[in-house]
Amino acid sequence: MRVPLSWLREFCPVDLGPEEVAELLTRQGVHVEAVLRPWEGLSGVVVARVVEVTDHPGSDRLCLARVRAGEAERQVVVGVRNMRPGDLVPLAPPGATLPGLSEPLAAREIRGVVSEGMLCSPRELGISQDHSGILVLPEEAPPGSDLKQALGLDEAVLDIEVKPNRPDLLSVVGVAREVAAGTGAPFVEPDTSVGEGEERAAELATVEVLDLVRCPRYLARVVRGVRVGPSPLRVQARLTAAGMRPLSNVVDATNYVMLELGQPLHPFDLARLEGRAVVVRRAEPGERLVTLDGVERALDPDDLLIADRSRGVAVAGVMGSAAAEVSDSTTDVLLESANFERTGVLRTARRLGLRTEASLRFERGVDPELVPLAAARAARLMVEWAGGSVAGGAVEVGGAPPRRRLSLRPERASLLIGMPVSGELVLETFRRLRVPARERDGAVEVEVPGYRVDLELEADLVEEVARLYGYDRVPARLPPVRRPGGLADSYAARRRVREALVRAGLREASTFSFASAEDLALMGVGEEEAVRVANPLAADQAFLRTSLVPGLLRALQYNLARQVRGAALFEVGRVFRRADPVEERDHAGVALCGQPGPAFPGEAREVDFFDAKGSVEVVLEALGLGDWALEPEPLIGPYHPVRSAAVVVDGARVGSVGELHPRVAARLDLPPGTAVAELDVTALSARTPVRVAYRDLPRFPPVRRDLAFVVDRATPAGAVRAAILEAAGGLADQVTLFDVFTGPPVPEGRKSLAFSVDFRAPDRTLTDEETERAVAAIVARLRERFGAELRAG
Amino acid sequence: MTPPDEAIRTLEAELERGRSLAAGARTLEDLERAEAAVLGRRSPLAGIQRSLGSLPEEARRRVGQRTNEVREALRALFAERRAELEAEREAALLEAERVDVTLPGRRPRPGSLHPLTLVEYRIVDIFTRMGYRVVEGPEVETEWYNFQALNIPADHPARTEKDTLYVDVPGHPDLLLRTETSAMQIRTMERERPPVYVVSPGRVFRQDTPDPTHSPVFHQVEGLAVDEGISLADLKGTLEAFARAMFGPETAVRFTPDYFPFVEPGAEMAVSCFACGGGGCRVCKFQGWIELLGAGMVHPNVLANVGYDPERYTGFAFGMGVERIAMALYGVPDIRMFFDNDVRFLEQFQAAG
Repeated sequence: MRVPLSWLREFCPVDLGPEEVAELLTRQGVHVEAVLRPWEGLSGVVVARVVEVTDHPGSDRLCLARVRAGEAERQVVVGVRNMRPGDLVPLAPPGATLPGLSEPLAAREIRGVVSEGMLCSPRELGISQDHSGILVLPEEAPPGSDLKQALGLDEAVLDIEVKPNRPDLLSVVGVAREVAAGTGAPFVEPDTSVGEGEERAAELATVEVLDLVRCPRYLARVVRGVRVGPSPLRVQARLTAAGMRPLSNVVDATNYVMLELGQPLHPFDLARLEGRAVVVRRAEPGERLVTLDGVERALDPDDLLIADRSRGVAVAGVMGSAAAEVSDSTTDVLLESANFERTGVLRTARRLGLRTEASLRFERGVDPELVPLAAARAARLMVEWAGGSVAGGAVEVGGAPPRRRLSLRPERASLLIGMPVSGELVLETFRRLRVPARERDGAVEVEVPGYRVDLELEADLVEEVARLYGYDRVPARLPPVRRPGGLADSYAARRRVREALVRAGLREASTFSFASAEDLALMGVGEEEAVRVANPLAADQAFLRTSLVPGLLRALQYNLARQVRGAALFEVGRVFRRADPVEERDHAGVALCGQPGPAFPGEAREVDFFDAKGSVEVVLEALGLGDWALEPEPLIGPYHPVRSAAVVVDGARVGSVGELHPRVAARLDLPPGTAVAELDVTALSARTPVRVAYRDLPRFPPVRRDLAFVVDRATPAGAVRAAILEAAGGLADQVTLFDVFTGPPVPEGRKSLAFSVDFRAPDRTLTDEETERAVAAIVARLRERFGAELRAG
Repeated sequence: MTPPDEAIRTLEAELERGRSLAAGARTLEDLERAEAAVLGRRSPLAGIQRSLGSLPEEARRRVGQRTNEVREALRALFAERRAELEAEREAALLEAERVDVTLPGRRPRPGSLHPLTLVEYRIVDIFTRMGYRVVEGPEVETEWYNFQALNIPADHPARTEKDTLYVDVPGHPDLLLRTETSAMQIRTMERERPPVYVVSPGRVFRQDTPDPTHSPVFHQVEGLAVDEGISLADLKGTLEAFARAMFGPETAVRFTPDYFPFVEPGAEMAVSCFACGGGGCRVCKFQGWIELLGAGMVHPNVLANVGYDPERYTGFAFGMGVERIAMALYGVPDIRMFFDNDVRFLEQFQAAG
């Protein structure tokens, strides 16, 4: 809501400047987003009298005007010729600035004649959209005076963010009431007196309301003999400053009052209402209406219409139609001031995709008590600006419901605010708000005016007390927390996982929770297994993600496209599957490619399977899981067939790790060796035995032997290592694979695995014989199981 | 010339020769050979030593004494030169090991937490230290938990498909992606009786087209305290303490009334700009204040919805946007950068905490 300060001062004459008013309102909960100065860009324009208008010697279209502003007389070149000698016009001399121009004006030659500035149209001055001719000013301002002052354009406008609970602030008067309450300045009621003619409105028109639920109050006034034309300049400027387009005096009067009081109004051309009748009814099935924006609308029987005897003329509370619209030839006006039920207007406006100043107000709730006041005010202004006379009385159906009564206990206010609140403070609050209140049985009873739709409960009244007292003045203290705080287990587990992955040299990413059909296909997930988004923002966000991998691969692509050498990313987040109805799990995903991070000169290398596997290891370690294995079974998804494995903990599959299939990597423009891993953190943290127990340190020295075995190339090193531990019968304390070697002298199809084995007993130093027996047992076991040969040396 | 005098002369000559040989030795091996030549068994000095017995006593004493003096002098001479050459050799060996100290350090690849995680952790840690417990809930919520129970009526604009992302699961028309972590207020209160002091961090969703200040996916931290006698003053004290812990002890806070359907009275908290201290700068858009979070006293309808007696229990709730705080704290100009995952962006938060 944009409130010109001069308008506000008509109802609350405060001395405060715009910034002070803005600060006061904001502290009161009426959030002023900005103080605008719509004519900031206008300066130096003066009122001038036209002395003479002559032809331009070098042009058929242009003319020359001699104008006098004070002493000086100037000649300007003008493109239109609507001004006549004797008229007052706005002159922008050299040095003046205009809202649409980036630089001050300069004198310049136009087809051989020097123009000392320019004469301005209303649009060039930012007053209205009218660019049909030079603005001819009324005989009010003396020539030579500053135009901004003369027309009240040196205006500050408060741009107010109106919260949905306070529709009364969608009006100048509503904001003025807040300023009065905050400052103690007087509040001046708007003048709704109107001089009435002989004729009675009831003799000129009829009103019939067929749905009193959707239209609880309808009032029509009649104004006859108007002359449709432009509104006074000050009115036009004010409407423009408030963000509305000036149209004509009759329409402007209704818009002006809507902005001023908050009551949407609609003027109909009475002569074009068939039977001079207004019928408020629901739309017929299949009924259509062309709204004022020129769009033909299919209506729903839930839509409320304003109709005459034969056809719809407006969508109630939303928009009129051309059928009975006021035009230049209109002389008699039926002025509608009505209250439409909020949710009905909301449904219709949504259905039609229309959002107007009227629907915006009705959707939030308009004070039913305003109906007659707004009609009278608009009729008054219409006659003032367009002539004619107001017919006596009004045609009215329905009325305003009784006011709500609420009670506030001062002790309840004390409890909720956290400071002593007296009955007197409560009464004072409502006095300032001009809301009737009185003490009754130790409580304060409040009679809620129709415009305060937000006051429904005692707590709402408490807020009024607190906000007018000032939140800043409310004391501050800490509540008596009586239990220790802490993290949820699930949250703590994810935190451990993140920290482990950071230590492992990965950077945390954050990707959207959506997935495309291609993402699902990439992971080998059927669309029926995924959760579909009903109203996705984009086609590639039609599902909820089932895996973190596709998002991380996109992040890798994003980075590679920016010429980084590589990236090592992880994400810990939620994935979704269809269940009954939806299953959510926390996953940890990892994706690496290229050469991530700084490497020592000469030591850089491309990542591969083992980098992803390492990240899996650190996560499982961080969660205290020792008993896990990788099973090189074929995986569903984008994995390399023989460089991937399932992660198995206690026999349950909890994740996967692998390089991308080279074809997938190529398709995604990712380098060979790009590797990913994904772990189900929800499953892992459910089996986390994070219990640390001390073990005695070894007291006796180990005997270290390096043993190299030649085995078939397909033999897994992990199996060989396990066999070594087993064969040593508890004497092998540490078994470390330190070299894997293929090529001569190792025969074709075989490989050499070199282990460093520490033999140790907990209770004694091992003898040579014991060690040799253990080595012999290992050699025998490995020969038997893997056909392994011990390499000499 | 008598033999003793000749011996003395020889000794003097040997001393000179030794001096020049030692000085002339360029390596320890040269020095070794030279030392053998002047002090070894076949050196003139050794010869004189051996012939001492054949000299008369007085001459023997004189020559013997000089022999000792010269030998000691030569030994000292060679020891000194040896030390020099050893130092030279060591220096040469060390020089060969010289490294370019400007080469980069050898280090593990650095990892980092996402800036949103860093900010969320800071917020959560402040509240857990104040005695709040972290609670978590589903990201796919029902209309009841996300709207109805929070006093947001069916016709509220936030509930349209223009604002809320709904999910399409047959037989479950009420499912949506939660639009705020406030949904956890209801789940927590349904599960527990007061006193309740919880925070709920998490991901939330809106039907917003991405632009510099909007993202369809973002993060919030919600807080809830319900107990006997909880007031607006407790809300103020708690959030003030939070603001000072988060942004520094000099931070000023400003509470103004605000509206959210699930609180009454409602409030907004702004903090004095931590970039300029309130003077006005780019971070606070020249306002001096940064609007940080929405809060208020839990609406009596919300308490009633979970079966709490609003006459006995009162509470406050607050919710803050993690992105908003991270943008202000680190000066990030565009919310979308948090989700681009550009490593050149992510690595900037290496040292942040």
